[in-house]
Amino acid sequence: MNVMTTCALRKQKLVSQIITFIFIGIVGAPISGVLQKTYAADTEAASAATPLNTLSPLLDDLYTVLSISFVAILFGIACAFYLQEWLPQTNWVRRFIESVVAILGGVPSIFYGILAIGIFFTDAGTLKTVGIVRGPQDIGDGSALGPLSFQYDTPVFYIVVLTFILMVTPMTIKTTQAALRSVATPIREATYALGASHWQVLRRQVIPIALTRILATGCRAMSSALATVALIFGIYIWQYTNGPREMSNRFILFLSGALFLSIFSSVLIKLCASASADPTHPTR
Amino acid sequence: MKNKIEISDLQVHYRDTSALNKVSFDVHENEILGIIGPAQSGKTTLLKVINRTLEFVPEASMDGTVKLDGVDISTMGDIYGLRRRIGMVLPLPVGLPLSIYDNVAFAPRAAGLRSKSQLDELVERCLQQAALWDEVKDRLSTLGTKLSGGQQQRLTIARALSHQPEVLCLDEFSIAIDPVTTMRIEEVLKTLQKEMTILLVTNLVQQAKRLATRTAFFLNGDLIEIDSTDVIFSDTPAQQATYDYINGTFG
Repeated sequence: MNVMTTCALRKQKLVSQIITFIFIGIVGAPISGVLQKTYAADTEAASAATPLNTLSPLLDDLYTVLSISFVAILFGIACAFYLQEWLPQTNWVRRFIESVVAILGGVPSIFYGILAIGIFFTDAGTLKTVGIVRGPQDIGDGSALGPLSFQYDTPVFYIVVLTFILMVTPMTIKTTQAALRSVATPIREATYALGASHWQVLRRQVIPIALTRILATGCRAMSSALATVALIFGIYIWQYTNGPREMSNRFILFLSGALFLSIFSSVLIKLCASASADPTHPTR
Repeated sequence: MKNKIEISDLQVHYRDTSALNKVSFDVHENEILGIIGPAQSGKTTLLKVINRTLEFVPEASMDGTVKLDGVDISTMGDIYGLRRRIGMVLPLPVGLPLSIYDNVAFAPRAAGLRSKSQLDELVERCLQQAALWDEVKDRLSTLGTKLSGGQQQRLTIARALSHQPEVLCLDEFSIAIDPVTTMRIEEVLKTLQKEMTILLVTNLVQQAKRLATRTAFFLNGDLIEIDSTDVIFSDTPAQQATYDYINGTFG
């Protein structure tokens, strides 16, 4: 038997690492947030100045953004699978959704940022009532600013969620469909000819081949979501504050997160381009 | 002789283009039926009809009946079961992006076979039948797509044999294989004929002459002639077009 260092195995390893990474992030962020809050509550002396207290709302925001975009990405991937694998090309639902996706996916993400900013900042009164901004007079020291964490169960929160879904889902649908289409037809035909069911073809052939590309898609969508949030924070700092440390921290955190994810997605795409050179185009 | 496949009034259209016109013939059990004809004569379409992969072509429409062992295939509920009864080798080698072992074990696993020892035995036998075992027995875990073109084609043959089909459809299988290996596989086909019915679509008329019990000649979607290979390749086949094609006057 040869050494088991085949492409497929390396891919599996990478995927399991990524899943673990995301899982730790999702589980770890709220736990650390809770821990830090308890810590801050226990020690009254621990004021806004302690680094831990600064970190807590920061991670809260990151966690909110990541989880919203994660759900939107999953939804987008599911949509893409349904459109590409189950609906025939002539179906009017598919045509309609694809044209909508083409329009929305072509819009640069900065416009979504502007949309969100418009909702955030046009009506300062609304923002005050929902508790995001306590009013310009409060903004002197960093502590009065309060956490900008999105307040749940408010119209603004739902608008933000909607913006994310509008931004992330079409992008994900478009690129996931492209990834599914990239699986060569002869591979599908050959698998069907072996008596495999649709599900077996998907699970054993299509998904393993397209997975890296789909993951890269997710990373890229998440990166643009983070970049948009960073943009919002950037404008928030510029507009409303003289640059309290917490806000610039957030700006930097989100921007670097976006940068990291976009680089990561490029690496994934590069990786799958070199890996898929073998399976999709058999050597002759 | 018992009929394995009965085809009557088979018509296939791709939108406005007709691929098969009112074709009717039978395939006997345990025979090698050679199917010859130039490009665009409907040979591959015929095979796609038999294993019902024509359904993946959205613009194709079909009329007429195809019966396997007396049962109309369009009424069969278990389409995957039907495809497992028919082995298919496509003209270009398609190595699935799996290891060589998994390539061959794919269909038995999809059918529910789990026992490692049975799979091992099956994989070895199929690879031996496809004349590939000696070349790959030491590296069964490497990717099937890493093999050379000819080896991949033999891998597809091994894969088609892995679900022990009743009918084996070979669509120009020798296109990517060297003549010596082709001869080895042809020998294998002659032995397999005892166990299964073989439909051999080929562009090499001499291959049909060497292997086929009967030969069918297709032209532009019409079945021109079907008869025993000796008659088709004699100087006096029933149709002049058959004689012209075989002797290289056209095509």
